[in-house]
Amino acid sequence: MKKTLIGGLVVFWAATALAQTAPDPQTRRIEQLENRVRQLEQQIEKLLAGPRVAAPPEPAPAPAAQPPPAPESVESRLPLSGYMDFHFNKPRGEPAQLDFHRFVLLFGHSFSDRIKFWSELELEHGLVEGREEKGELELEQAYLDFLVKPYLNFRGGMILAPVGLINERHEPPSFYGVERPFVDSVILPSTWFDTGVGVFGDLGRGFRYKAYVMSPLDAAEFNAEEGLRGGRQKGFQSSFQNVAQTARLEYHGLPRLAWGASFWRGNTGFNLRGVNPRVRVVETDGRYRVSRFDFRAQFAQVDISKAGELNLALEREGGISPNVAERMRGFYIEPAARLLPRRWRQDLAVFFRYESFDTQNKMPRGFLPLRQFDRSAWVVGATYYPEPDVALKWDYSFLRNASSLVRAANSLNFGIGWWF
Amino acid sequence: MVGAFMLRPLFILLALAALPAAAETKVVRMTAERFSFFPSQIRVKAGTVVEFHIHSEDTNHGFRIPAAGIDQVIPKRGKGELKVIYHAERPGRYEFECSKPCGAGHTIMRGMLIVE
Repeated sequence: MKKTLIGGLVVFWAATALAQTAPDPQTRRIEQLENRVRQLEQQIEKLLAGPRVAAPPEPAPAPAAQPPPAPESVESRLPLSGYMDFHFNKPRGEPAQLDFHRFVLLFGHSFSDRIKFWSELELEHGLVEGREEKGELELEQAYLDFLVKPYLNFRGGMILAPVGLINERHEPPSFYGVERPFVDSVILPSTWFDTGVGVFGDLGRGFRYKAYVMSPLDAAEFNAEEGLRGGRQKGFQSSFQNVAQTARLEYHGLPRLAWGASFWRGNTGFNLRGVNPRVRVVETDGRYRVSRFDFRAQFAQVDISKAGELNLALEREGGISPNVAERMRGFYIEPAARLLPRRWRQDLAVFFRYESFDTQNKMPRGFLPLRQFDRSAWVVGATYYPEPDVALKWDYSFLRNASSLVRAANSLNFGIGWWF
Repeated sequence: MVGAFMLRPLFILLALAALPAAAETKVVRMTAERFSFFPSQIRVKAGTVVEFHIHSEDTNHGFRIPAAGIDQVIPKRGKGELKVIYHAERPGRYEFECSKPCGAGHTIMRGMLIVE
């Protein structure tokens, strides 16, 4: 009996002691303060509610405990970010080139938790000289977000067309290969940006959307080799007649999977007399990661109405038909593997990409396709990451086309890309 | 002897009663990657202590819950994880967002903590 009593008291004491000693003094103090706050809240509620109605509690939970602020360097908290892209390209049979392809600065500012500004200013090819074929200084993004609800927010300004894998996700360490995929250059004209307004949000269950109206493309600048690319107005006093509509739906509801589908459509003949081609772009893409393997794929198709009339109109104006197709189509698949152990700070990725891109896929009646623009590419390469934001890239592009006369040039490429 | 046998559970009950009522703890493992959190929607019951463990698959990201005054940096891939403990006391919907510029789509990198 005595032993049991003593044993019980020991257990009781141990439990009490555990309850008293487990939390550190800071935690105990926080608990005391929380209790005091609760008591004061109850007293205030009673005073405010009067005899019948209780005031609803405000949903404002406080953090019970936070870790001490992470030791941050001043640099990592600057409201300025950016990325750079430096390339060496050696197409077969042509001289090698060194090109500081992109120097990009991103600025942001929060006016409040609900009104935010974001911008991206890009200098391409290192030099801007009048309107000559040199570099470009581009304001790729400069917009205000008005955040209302998770599922409904508003955006206006210079915005990226929400089309494709690369257009909104083009930081050099985030894609494989020195240059962006061909499909993202000649079928989808990334970086595709212009003035516009729209809505975006998170629909829950992993679905997100964007829907904008934007300035249209300019059909007077379409051509056979690069499709829509020359038609980007880039916010330079963009015509806003017949605004284009564009939207994207994304799914992020499963681990390591991201899927997206987009469309863009608009009339593009505001610079032409008598013909107003309608352009429709549809696209779908996906990314999946399993263990140390990445898979990416994308399909895109462009349809242009009245392409024959467009070619005739441009031939009348300039003397040469641009041979714009009625349909352009491209796709790629890209498996990649990360070779170094996940716990290492450095990483090495190898990849290959097969691309098919045909800007003469279907011609209007009376026009023959230029077969050299029915192209495919095998791109093999590697990326070494000395740290996650720095990418040293190498690849070799084996290019083919359907022409028996014009030979496609393979290309050896090296690049350094970094993000800060 | 019989008395001792009957008193033992009583003391154990007393000992258990002396322990403080522990709040439920929920561990949430999140991945941050340009430009999304996964999972981006988290549901917990009011009173839960939420223990976020967040790692990045690429660059630094931020993890900010404006309503709670939490704003921390998620380390880059391969450089560890961020651990944040948050006492979700009251029901409501609390947005969280990336607070460190991470690229062209930085402003859409958001999520929701739903306290029921």
